[in-house]
Amino acid sequence: MPEQLKRNGRPRQATPLLSLDSWAVLLALALCLAIWIGWIKHVPW
Amino acid sequence: MASSIALEAPATENIFKQAARLIPGLLLLAAVGYAGRIIERSIANYGKAHHLTLPNIEYVLWAIIIGLVIGNTVGVPRLFQAGVATYEFWLKTGIVLLGSRFLLGDVAKLGGVALALVVVEIAVSLAFMTALGNAFKLKPKLTTLLAVGSSICGVSAIIAAQGAIDADEEDASYAIAAILSLGAISLFIFPLVGHWLHLSDLSYGLWAGLGIDNTAEATAAGALYSDAAGKVAVLAKTARNAMIGFVVLGYAIHWARKEHTEGVGNKAAFLWQKFPKFVLGFLVISALATAHIFSKDQLTNVANLSRWAFLLTFAGVGLRTNIRALGKQGFRPFAVGAVGEVVIAFLTLGLVYGANRFLPK
Repeated sequence: MPEQLKRNGRPRQATPLLSLDSWAVLLALALCLAIWIGWIKHVPW
Repeated sequence: MASSIALEAPATENIFKQAARLIPGLLLLAAVGYAGRIIERSIANYGKAHHLTLPNIEYVLWAIIIGLVIGNTVGVPRLFQAGVATYEFWLKTGIVLLGSRFLLGDVAKLGGVALALVVVEIAVSLAFMTALGNAFKLKPKLTTLLAVGSSICGVSAIIAAQGAIDADEEDASYAIAAILSLGAISLFIFPLVGHWLHLSDLSYGLWAGLGIDNTAEATAAGALYSDAAGKVAVLAKTARNAMIGFVVLGYAIHWARKEHTEGVGNKAAFLWQKFPKFVLGFLVISALATAHIFSKDQLTNVANLSRWAFLLTFAGVGLRTNIRALGKQGFRPFAVGAVGEVVIAFLTLGLVYGANRFLPK
């Protein structure tokens, strides 16, 4: 328990499995794959 | 088996519940961003129909203004807050997808110049902000957080540094509030100064990427100037973000020595943990585009997805900027941040002028 506390007494938060950055990279790569395979044929702008 | 199902069910439900909580805010981001698009198009159509030359104000500005008005009048209701907070995620997704619009050769050439400027900018900014913090008698760790936030990449750098040097949350909140407020101001001032100085898209994009601290604001300020400037601003800001691990590691070692604490064990692991992974994603997509993996139409689709991701980001920037909070923060941290930002803006502008002849034409 003491190891879970920082010196200033705040409890450490549990580290998520993947960072926000990593999730963003995974989503972007998945979208690129979907476009490359042809699942996404047209993205309007 | 039964027990494992019994144990797993609540976790699955939790994920679905968490995802469902994001939907209202995501819809709000999309509505605000798309309203910006509609206003941009309506003005352009009106000008065409009435043979008027109206200024082309990008949807970016409208989305931010609508967001600011909502966020600072009626406020963002609790129901929408979780979804609105995802704007950072869309920013990073947009940056990775934007890699499709750069060939690796351009990244190496422009990124190389940007990286050289970033090293100078970070060294001078850190030294100046530290001296300024000491002159204003700020707490040393608050000075460190402000220095890291204004020299590298705003909020992410402050959060990374806070954990690494074990600073108080209150100091981090001050530093984040100062950096966000100044970022919001820079968002409007940088394009005005850029137009006044007749900066090219390339020079302006570099300046915005080097001079504005938070990635979302730097991206928006670039896009407000032009599409091409937006691309360059993202590249320069990404080069700056890539330095975060090295600077935070340096400060972690400095503070551990000063306070005689344990310090950083595995430095390589520390650097990897702090390194912004979206920079790698950006390079991967750029490499795929360079290798002609995608057809021309597919590249357009990837680029358009990036634009949609940025649309959500810009709406989030407006919705999350709290003008009232500007007055609530301490005067001295804000003054240090403001003086530092002005000096860094001049410094980076000088660097960009100096680097002009090394830039690709």
